[in-house]
Amino acid sequence: MTALCLTAGGALGAICRYLLGKWFGRFQSTIPFPIPMLFVNIAGSFGLGLFFGGFYGGIPAEAYTDPWFLFGGVGFFGAFTTFSTFSMEAFHLLEKREYPTLLIYTGLSVGGAFLSFGTGLWIGG
Amino acid sequence: MKNVIAVGIGGAAGTYLRYIINTQLPADFPVGTMIENITGSLLLGLLSGWFAVKTPRDWVKAGLGVGLCGGYTTFSAFAADTVDLYTGQMIAPAVWYMFVTLFLGIIFAMIGFAAGQKAGGEHL
Repeated sequence: MTALCLTAGGALGAICRYLLGKWFGRFQSTIPFPIPMLFVNIAGSFGLGLFFGGFYGGIPAEAYTDPWFLFGGVGFFGAFTTFSTFSMEAFHLLEKREYPTLLIYTGLSVGGAFLSFGTGLWIGG
Repeated sequence: MKNVIAVGIGGAAGTYLRYIINTQLPADFPVGTMIENITGSLLLGLLSGWFAVKTPRDWVKAGLGVGLCGGYTTFSAFAADTVDLYTGQMIAPAVWYMFVTLFLGIIFAMIGFAAGQKAGGEHL
């Protein structure tokens, strides 16, 4: 059951990220930092907050035995959002010495994800 | 379609790996997610560096980069962990957790990229 929830949630989350990322790429044009994963991470953090608030009334402490937590929390929203792409994109901005853009990109990623998670948790709970 | 399947398989494998690490570590501090995000950044750096020199098939790139590394690392749990620490009156650990993850994630992506390029170049 555990393996099934993780596999289904993880595969679905990653595929949704891939397809949605491609779609968000259309709006890139003149924006100086990469926006697809920024949007995906903010949306996914909001979704996880909403899921936690709605299902558990808050952030669950130990839920690794709950199939919904495995499918939705660890699987879907875990795989839908990504940190490694954020690191790579931040590194590329650093490499190009675009420091103000790097700060804006990092601030929007972190601030946006935290705020949207908190908002989702609040709405769901 | 090949890319989508590769992303799905990679994503499931990455998720499973993340789950295994999380359940092996103590739950009182979210060190698991921190380790996954940092090592995943290193791995994506390595792959990107390697792929910058040697161009692989599209589905290989999508499966390993978007799928495996993307599924293994997570931004939503990073947000959840930080908010959880912060609202649990652990403000200093929350700030510390956030900055260490960000700083080491970017540093390790950089190290990985350089190493990957070097490794890819030596085989040309």
